[in-house]
Parts: sequence; structure tokens; C-alpha cells
Amino acid sequence: MKLTVHTPPEVPLEAEILSPTSLAGLSEAEVSALIVHHGNRKEALGEFFSVNGKMNGRLELEGDLSFVKLIGQGMADGEMFIEGNVSGHLGCGMSGGRIVLNGDAQDWVGEDMTGGSITINGNAGHMVGSGVRGAEQGMLGGEIFVRGNCKNEAGGAMRRGLVAIGGNSGDFTGLNMVAGTVIVLGEMGIRTGSNMKRGSVISMNPARMIPSFSYSCTYQPIFLRFYLNYLRDVGFEIDDAWLNGSYQRWCGDAISLNKGEVLLYQS
Amino acid sequence: MDSSVAAEPNIRVVKNATCTFCGCVCDDMELTVDLDQKRITKAKNACVLGKAWFAEHSVDESRPVAMIEGKEVSLDEAIDEAAKILVNARFPVIYGMSNSTSEAQRETVKMADLLSANVDSTSSVCHGPTGMGLQGVGEPTTTLGEVKNRADMIVYWGCNPSDCHPRLSTHYAVNPKGMYIPNGRKDRTVINVDVRSTTTTNIADVFVQVKPGSDFELLWGLRILVRGGKLNPAFEEQTGVPIDVIENLASRLMSCNYGILFFGMGLTMTRGRHYNASALHMLATDLNEHTHFVVKPARGHGNVTGADTVMSWQTGYPFGINFNRGYPRHEPGEFTTTDIMCRGEADAACIIASDPMANFAKPAIDHMKKIPMISFDPKPTPTSQAARVAFTTACYGINTPGTVYRMDDIPIPLRPAFESPFPSDLDILKPLVKRIRELKRAQY
Ligand code: SF4
Repeated sequence: MKLTVHTPPEVPLEAEILSPTSLAGLSEAEVSALIVHHGNRKEALGEFFSVNGKMNGRLELEGDLSFVKLIGQGMADGEMFIEGNVSGHLGCGMSGGRIVLNGDAQDWVGEDMTGGSITINGNAGHMVGSGVRGAEQGMLGGEIFVRGNCKNEAGGAMRRGLVAIGGNSGDFTGLNMVAGTVIVLGEMGIRTGSNMKRGSVISMNPARMIPSFSYSCTYQPIFLRFYLNYLRDVGFEIDDAWLNGSYQRWCGDAISLNKGEVLLYQS
Repeated sequence: MDSSVAAEPNIRVVKNATCTFCGCVCDDMELTVDLDQKRITKAKNACVLGKAWFAEHSVDESRPVAMIEGKEVSLDEAIDEAAKILVNARFPVIYGMSNSTSEAQRETVKMADLLSANVDSTSSVCHGPTGMGLQGVGEPTTTLGEVKNRADMIVYWGCNPSDCHPRLSTHYAVNPKGMYIPNGRKDRTVINVDVRSTTTTNIADVFVQVKPGSDFELLWGLRILVRGGKLNPAFEEQTGVPIDVIENLASRLMSCNYGILFFGMGLTMTRGRHYNASALHMLATDLNEHTHFVVKPARGHGNVTGADTVMSWQTGYPFGINFNRGYPRHEPGEFTTTDIMCRGEADAACIIASDPMANFAKPAIDHMKKIPMISFDPKPTPTSQAARVAFTTACYGINTPGTVYRMDDIPIPLRPAFESPFPSDLDILKPLVKRIRELKRAQY
């Protein structure tokens, strides 16, 4: 099924029903009649989107989606392809299926997700794969791939899963992390891994570490080859030198459990 | 207590009046008011800022009470127009409130609820990160009375109360004698941590100069020491503070009887923002393993604390609240006003006693120029000039009674000095809410 924006919303549109899971089994007319929140008004989806085709597990979205929030919330299966920039909370709480976005996403991509995968062929905002504020655990599983850059607090409080950023990340990458893996191929901002308990944050560039991290050794982590080959398979550009390179290993955060690690590519 | 005594004809002395200029909300002012000229001629007990606040206040009776598109109209017409703008909007934003009474703030939240609007206070551009920080880690809190009577360790971190809250030290925290602080200043240690020396440094026993943007690392270092760890040399490199100074600071903090960390925008508005505030709260929590330690943000505008308090008890959240779906949701960054305006999402705005057109980022201001705005302000400001509907209001505390929250969340009643020809925020909000209700009813 394909949904094309014919009238872009003037104010934020909260459209959590836009997912293959929610639309499964519905006809064009039924989908057009679904209710979305346009600011403080309830309106029919058909006021904004023209709906074409049958729902067979694959949903395509196209047009000016820059004010559309919560796309793919709670998605559990199927595939969704999105052309255009989207607003916040893409794929929040999703548990399965696949989202591919050709464009930029704003904050809170994959917040609290437990499974499935999100690929963003553009940039993402703050809090990629983070938990809601104040939560002890964020992302519990699944994969988020961002080709471009992301802003602060990527992988905040994540517990399992993989977040890979092709470009640069902002400050506090892997903040409060409990476990899981964050890979940043570009540069990271400052204060990486602060308050992390366990988990791995990996970057292909030098980074300034908070002093509560201590340098342990430089080595060639074999597991990383698997990760990097996997990232190459899903379309990231991986330098051959990274596969066999040496990485500095920093442990921290000493203020917390001190069982986390930050690996920085050296040579 | 007798609050108004006629001293001479047309001179009124108001005892125990309240200054609403800064978050100290001093309630021991003695104001001499010239009723003919509608001016305050003397403000006994006030600090320099308070004196200026009272002295500068005059009522310009030539201003119209309400304007639409810059033209004078009656109050009723303006209220009707404002109600229409707000009811027709799909994403109305209500913002400000820090220079208003808590009664007016309560009515504002009611209006936001009724309109399914977005409501936010100026906290989102000053101490909002503090709220976010403590949501994650909890808040060891206190009142200024307790500080006066018990605190023997005062830390001013990234704030300059000597210039911004002059009586915080002299009236509450440093100089006064207290129940367990019999010798006043002599019994207290004052520590100032900042990126440069300020006038507050002059009253401090210890000054720790930290490299700009590395408060977080210094707080982290202190936490490690308080938890019994050791510091590596990288701490000195990154913070610019020698290791022995950090160690000395930590041992002083641990060995006091009752300590308080006051902090300001040096922490909340520099890189790291809410996480800097979190780190400070976590330090206080760690210190509570050794002694009693509390944290207080040294808050700026008169009643910004009231805005947080009122919104918290009405909606459960302190700022950045959205009612679009009929129930309150809170998300800093998503529902905070500058972010909404920067993304161009709002289609109407109601600005209460605040001037975002003067202090928001440029993209936000550009968007606000495009949408209909309603403003409440005693004086002309860039915001009131850009507003479609502008109300002239009486000044809270000077002309109108009500309640204001001090920076330690203590409600303090106001004793107005003289009457203004203009209505208070509340006097306008009440009929506005009524009109909104009528229009909404007609819609359905
Ligand atoms: S300290 Fe603040 S509240 Fe007290 S008199 Fe000075 S300006 Fe007014």
C-alpha cells in the first residue's frame, strides 16, 4: 500500500497508526478514514494522504512528512519505506519489522524499541535509540542504522541491540548505557559513555574521554570484524584497515559499574 | 500585622511588602508610596536591584488597556479577539508566566487544558534542564529558612548571587545568625566554583576556577572522591583544577555538618545542560553518605518557581507540556516553546508576562512574526509590539495581590503598594477563559 501526502499538515500530525502492523487487513477506504491528531483536532488520514493499493505487509509513505510524528510506533512486523523527512519518534517502541527512511528524522528515533530494524539514509536528531527520560533502561533490542550524523545521547540507557552511525554523533554517546553496542564511524562529541554500566561504544576516530574512564590496552578485537562486516553488508562504507586494525580500549565509567568499554580505532 | 499605615496625606507606608524582582522574593520590604504620583519613593530593606525595581515602576496611564493590530480597543473586544485566535488555532502555544502570580498561572494552565494547547514557562530557557536533571536522579531539597539556621557550608556553583540575587547571601544563606549557626558568617564556609571570578568570589573563602565547559568533569571527579576513589591526572588536564585542590574541596564538602549547593545557569545553559544539573544532584546524593547535603537552583525571575510548581501540581510536569490529545504530556525539546517555534510548528501564541521576541533564537522569532500572537505585559516590549492582541496589565506585586513562590518553593503573599488603572493578568485571564469556553461550546 502506498500513502502519498496531498495536503501537508500545517501543525504537527501525530500519526502512530502509520505502520504495516496497524494497517494490516484494511482497505483503502478504511485507511483513509482512520483518525490522526492534527494539533488538537482529530482528523481523517485521508485529509492529508491519498491511499493506493492493497496492504500486503509493505507500506510506502511519500511526500512532505516533516510535521508527521510517531510513524511506525509499536510496529511489530512488515516493511515500511519512507521518502522524505519525518518528525520525531520514528519507530518508537517498535518490536519487529523494518523501516527504511530516505530522508532525515528528528529526535527520538527508535525510543524504547525492543526489536526490528530502522535504517535512516540521512541524519537523525537527539536521543537515537534512547529510553524515555528518567527510565533506567532504553532500547531493549533491534537495530538502528543512521547513514548520516546524529545529535546527543545516542543509545542512552540502552540495554541490548545495535546502534550504528555512519557520520558523527553528538555529546553523551552511550550515556547511562546498561549493555548493547553503539558504533560511530565518524567522530563522537564529548563525554562518551558517561555513567555507563556495561556495553560497548566503538568509534573509528579519536575521542576525548571523560577522566573517569581508564585506558586499559590496545588490541585487535576479533568480535569487531563480525560487526564491521555486517555493517558493510547492510551498506555502510567500511575501510579495510578497520577490520584488522588496533583499537584502544578504555573502561568505565568508574563512577558506575566500570564494566563498560569504549574502543577507539588507533591504526 | 498592620500592612498599611497612613503616615501623611497621600503618602502610604506598606510594611512587609514583597519584592518580586528575583527568586529570593524578599518579604520584608518597607515601601513608602506617593499616592498622588503613583510612585514608590523609598524601599527600605531592598537591595540595589530591588530598589531599582520599585523606583522605576511608574504607571503610564496614557497607554491603552488593550490593542488589536496596534489600534486601541475596549478590553471586551480584545478578549473576544484573543479567544477567537486561540480557539481557531490547531497548535496554540501558551508561554511565559514567570512574572505573574500563581493565581494567574493556575488560570493559564486551565486555559491550556481547555484549548488542548501547549503550555510552557520561561523555565525552558533557564532552569528547565534542572527539572530534567532531577527527574532522572531525584532532588535532595530544602528551604532557605533551614539554610539560614543550619548550613555551615555554602557552595555557589556557576552562579553569581552577589549580582543577581543580592540578598541570598546577606538575608538567607551566608551572613545571618541561625539556630545552629550562632556566629553567622564566622560559622560558615563559602565556596565559589566558576569559570571566572565574579563579585561572589569576593565573599567566598575558597574560589575554584574551572575551565569553561568542564564543570561536568569536575563534578564527576568530586563524585569519585566522595565515593572513596582516586583521581587520575586527566582530571587536572581537563578541568584546569589541580588534583590537590579537588581533593581538598571534596574533603571540605564531606566534613561539614550541613551543606548546600546553589547553582545557576553556568551549569544549566552550558554544554551538557541537564546532565550537568544531574551530575550536581548526584554529587549531593553521594555526599549524603557522609553528611547532610542539599541542592537549590538559584532561580532568576520572580515567580518562575511558581510556574513550575503550579504546572507540576496541575499536570504532573514542570514545563514543556502539551495538551493536544486532551491529557498532559511532557517532553523537553519537543514541547518547549523555543523548539516548537524554531521548527515552525505553532499556529498561534499567547505570551504572558514575558518577552520571547527579545531573547529567542532568530528562527523562532521569524516564525513568531508569522503567527497571530496575544501578549500580556505591563510595558511595551518587542513581543507586545509584534502581537496582534496586546493587553496592558498591572504589575504583580506592586499593583496586584496574589501569591509568589520563592526559589525554595515556599509560597509568599504579595502586598501591593498602590492601585493601577490596568487589570491584572488574572483579571483578563478569567473572562478570557470564560469566552473560550463559550466559543468551544458553540463549536460542538
Ligand atoms: S534580593 Fe531579590 S527579591 Fe530581595 S530585594 Fe533584592 S531583588 Fe528583591
